[in-house]
Parts: sequence; structure tokens; C-alpha cells
Amino acid sequence: MENALRQKAKELLESGDVKVVIGYGWNRAKTRTTPVFITRPADVDKLVWNPLCVNNLSIYLTRKFKDILALGKPAIVAKGCDIRNIVVLITEAQIKREDAVIIGMTCEGVVYRQELWKGGLKPEMMPTKCHNCDVRNPHVSDFTIGERSTFTPPETPTGMVFDKIKAIDAMDASERWNFWVGEFSRCIKCYACRQVCSLCYCERCITEKNMPQWIETSAHPRGNLSWNLTRAMHLVGRCTFCGECERACPVNIPLNLVNQKMIQVVDSAFEFKSGYDEKTHPPMIVFKPDDKDDFIK
Amino acid sequence: MADRYLDKDGLAKLISSVIGKGGRFIAPATVARQTVFKEVITADEVATGYILARNSFKEFLFPQTEVVADFSIRKDGVELRARDVKAVDTVVFGGRPCEAASVASLRSVFTWDFVDEFYTKREDKTVVISVACTNGDDACFCTTVGLSPESVAGSDIMLYETTKGGWLVHSVTDKGKAFVAAHEVVFGAQSADTDAVTLYNPAPIEGIDLARIGGRLKDRGHYEDPIWAELTRKCIGCGACTYVCPTCHCFDIIDEGTAFEGERRKNWDACQIDMFTLHASGHNPRDVQWKRWRNRFMCKFNFYPEKFKSTGCVGCGRCIRVCPVRLDITEAMEALSK
Repeated sequence: MENALRQKAKELLESGDVKVVIGYGWNRAKTRTTPVFITRPADVDKLVWNPLCVNNLSIYLTRKFKDILALGKPAIVAKGCDIRNIVVLITEAQIKREDAVIIGMTCEGVVYRQELWKGGLKPEMMPTKCHNCDVRNPHVSDFTIGERSTFTPPETPTGMVFDKIKAIDAMDASERWNFWVGEFSRCIKCYACRQVCSLCYCERCITEKNMPQWIETSAHPRGNLSWNLTRAMHLVGRCTFCGECERACPVNIPLNLVNQKMIQVVDSAFEFKSGYDEKTHPPMIVFKPDDKDDFIK
Repeated sequence: MADRYLDKDGLAKLISSVIGKGGRFIAPATVARQTVFKEVITADEVATGYILARNSFKEFLFPQTEVVADFSIRKDGVELRARDVKAVDTVVFGGRPCEAASVASLRSVFTWDFVDEFYTKREDKTVVISVACTNGDDACFCTTVGLSPESVAGSDIMLYETTKGGWLVHSVTDKGKAFVAAHEVVFGAQSADTDAVTLYNPAPIEGIDLARIGGRLKDRGHYEDPIWAELTRKCIGCGACTYVCPTCHCFDIIDEGTAFEGERRKNWDACQIDMFTLHASGHNPRDVQWKRWRNRFMCKFNFYPEKFKSTGCVGCGRCIRVCPVRLDITEAMEALSK
């Protein structure tokens, strides 16, 4: 797969169809992958593909990265889950489908617990999203690299995130409040969750609007709660459960629980899951005359 | 070298003694599936087998958020009421030699043109008990920046793990000696358990030359060098690296409350966040990410050494470990050593 990827990248760069290939490369010790931006055909061997390719590179297609946009048309190496974010960016008019060449990679799961990685992919290393993945074969792409995956996700979603949501749903309101206040109390306001999220593409985030200061920037319980809840609300009907925010969080706040819960709420209210179809707009940004609720008519 | 001995029972007694006198005991402990510095009350909480805590212990000397004053705005003017620093006796146990070396760097910046009592009063009351490293990972690079797994800079007491699970105690500073003397009953005499565990000694990263980096940064001709954009293109502009860094010290002053009554807070801030240098006029001198990243690198390898003759980067590798895109500062050090 790696060779096929490099070959495709080389073709695209040589033909001038794209000016940069956004993909994964090794860090110095070859223990982790890191985003790379290949602009010369001679450098395509820096591209790698393996289960350590966890990052969702679709952030680099957003307008937050002006210097990358300035390089010219990009090709992006993307797993199915990453493509879901690209689809949301298209439905929200952030990019056009033709703005980026999508090199879709078939995928059998990625490694979150990278300290366990010894070269073989085991289920216990993989995040919940991989165990329930229905896009192991990229659903929107210009080229697809890799053998077709035969994986069928379980009928009922399984995994730690779903189990924990059930446990939290079973709590009474005050227990649930205490749980979340406790989790958010660790927040250090580094905003890694926001910065790593391709759907947090606002150039000026609400927490940066300081006349008045809508969200207190202090990392005290009040400021942490308002920041985390506001960000959660801004992702309703949009978040694809790619898990980048939780992976980026230096203090291990279980943001996947918040995001997956919202996904479930949106699915039951609107029968909508984000990131599958670039022609369907997300429920929070459309109005339909046949809306099932009366108050909006 | 080592003059005393401490075992796990001794540690338990030490913790109760410090807390009993109204102090706080900070040590690495497990929180949310990772090892972090926190206030502990028992020896059982203290983590073992860790490389180093995810956060640095700076937050106990320089809190992430603290009230420095209260204000009231009335018809006849503004009333500003200063807050006193509540500094309690603090023991930081189980830090590593790398992060201990950052204490002097923090002090130099907080006493440079103005003595920031919110820092100095806390640091004055803190005893740093470090443990020499017996383990490390591929993000560790202390030996590349002139430190070592047993360098004593910043530590009041240095401990060496023994094969039987105790520690050989080496008092470094007068503060450390006084602390050991004040806890005479806890620190035993040298026991038969004298076999120290072999230290983890990473080889310095080849191709990195601090003097060359310093020389290159001193010449402002590097300022617009395209190398900065190339090295840092993947940076997403979060503050994770600066917040876990033991020497990063920037803060913001903000007011919270109503228009008439409230508190003034000193909050950590990060030079990697785009609004950090945004002027009220709308102009931003560090308008793109590579300029922000260049600033952080300059701070570590030019401003600190030039201005304070102290080290800006202690090689703990925390920024590498937490970076969501695995941007490795040593790769920039290597590129700028050429």
C-alpha cells in the first residue's frame, strides 16, 4: 500500500495536478507518524502508511492554514473517518469537492495506545471508532489505495465509549453533573481540542471574543465547564466522532463521550449522521417546511 | 554523595510530617490513566515506574489561574485591593533532574525587572526532592542540552533509587540539608541497601550543537528564513507544548466579574495561540504560525541564554510527547545546528 501511495503521489505531483501531498511520515525514531507536506516528486518516499497514521489531516484543508492553501491545490491522504470530516467541510461550504484530491486509504483500524504497538495491530490498541467503522473502504475519494476491507461493523455499536455512555445515562442528574465537573476540572485551556478539530474552523473562536468575554478564559471550574460545553454544542450534528480532540487532550478529558452522545441525540431526532453524503446539509443549518416540530413552522 | 537513606515507610512518615505541619506534598500520582504531579496525602498514591509526569510541577509555584487583586468601580473612582500570596511550605517529590533545572529559569524571569511575589514567595517555601532517572523514552533529550539523569541544578535533595525500592539521599543545597535535619527521624542513616539502580543515560542527539544554534539565532538574518515555515508547517497552534513545558512562563492578566465588581486574575498564556500578540489596532506582528513557533524556539535558545544566562530548554521532552501532530523540537534543533 505504501508503494502504491508513493507512486500515486509522484504521479500527481509530476503531472502538476496537485502542488502538495498532505500525508504521513515518520518521526526521527520511527516510533510515531507525523504530518508531512510533500511538494517535490523526489520526496514521495517520505510518505508512510501504517496503523500509526492516526491524525485526521483534514484540518490542513481549512482556512486556518493559509500558508498551506498558498502552496496550491492539495492531495490529501485520508482514511474513511478522515473523509467524513472532509465531507462535512464540503456540506458547510468550507471547501469544494474539487478543491482537494482525496487519496482514500482502506484501513483496518489505527493504534491509539501506541505504547503497545510492536508491529501488529490488535483490537485492544484500537479506539472505539475503529471497532464500529463503516467506512474502512473510503466512501468519497478520487483514488482508493489498498485492498478492499471485508469488515462489517456490529449491528449494535460496541466498545468503551458506548458502555460509558450507558453508565452515564443511568446516573441521576446530580451524579452526572459531578462526573462532568470532575472531568472538566482538569482542563488546562490549551485548546488542543479545538486546534486539532477540522470542524473548529472559525478564525475567531467564541472564547476569543472578549467584548464582552462570553467564555471566561480562566481554567477554573466555571471557565472550564463553559468552554467544554460550548464547544460541544458547536459540534452538534457536525462531529463525526473522529476522536482527534480526545487524542490531543493532554489531560485525558473523555471528549469522545460528549461527542458520541450528541451524535446519538441527533440521530434519534433527525435520523442524520454527519460525514457520509456531501450533498446533504447537516440538520442544524437547514430548514425544511415538513419539519416534524411545530414551533419552527 | 549519598548521606542518608529513605524507604517507603520513611516516605509515608515524611508525607504525614509535612502535611501535619500545614504544608503540602506534591508527587507524581495517577489521575485519569496518566502520571501527573498532584497534592498527595499518602505514600500509596505516589506513582512508581514512571518516566516523568505528564505536567511539570511549575503549576504549584505558578498556578494556572490565580486572583491577584479585587476591584470595585464606584462613582468616585476605582478601588483596587491587592491579594496576599498564600504560600505554604511545599515539598515537590519525584521530579526529574531536567525539570528541577527549570526552577532557576523561572526565577530569573520572575525577578528580572520586577519581583513577582506570587512566584518568589511560593518558590522560597518549596523544597525540591528529585529522583535520578532510571528510565526514559525516545522523547528524552536532557544530555543534548547539557543536563544529565543526575544533574543537581535546581534540586535541594537528589535521590537515587535502590534495587530494594528505597532511595539513597544526597542533600544538595543548604535548604535541602536543613530539610533533612528537620526530619531526622525519617531519613535513616546509610543502610545496607546501597545498590543504586543503573541510571538511564540517553546519548546526546547527534548533529545538535547548542553553541551553533545560539550563534545562528543571535544573527537576526535568520528571521525570515524559509526553514521556519518548513519545520513548523504542521503546527496547529494549540498551547499544549507551552503548558506542559517546565520553563514556559507567559501569563495573561484578565478581569472577571461584573462591570462594577470583580477580580483580576493572572492566567497562563501561550505564545503559540494566534491572539497572543494581537494588538488592539488589529495588527499582529506574529501573524502566522511559523512566526509564533520561531518565537518559542528563540525564547528557549536565544532569549534565556542571552538575557539570563540560564537554560530555556531542559530536554524533558514533554512538548514532543503531548504534541497532537508530533512536532519534535529536536528536529528543529538539528536543522538549526547546520
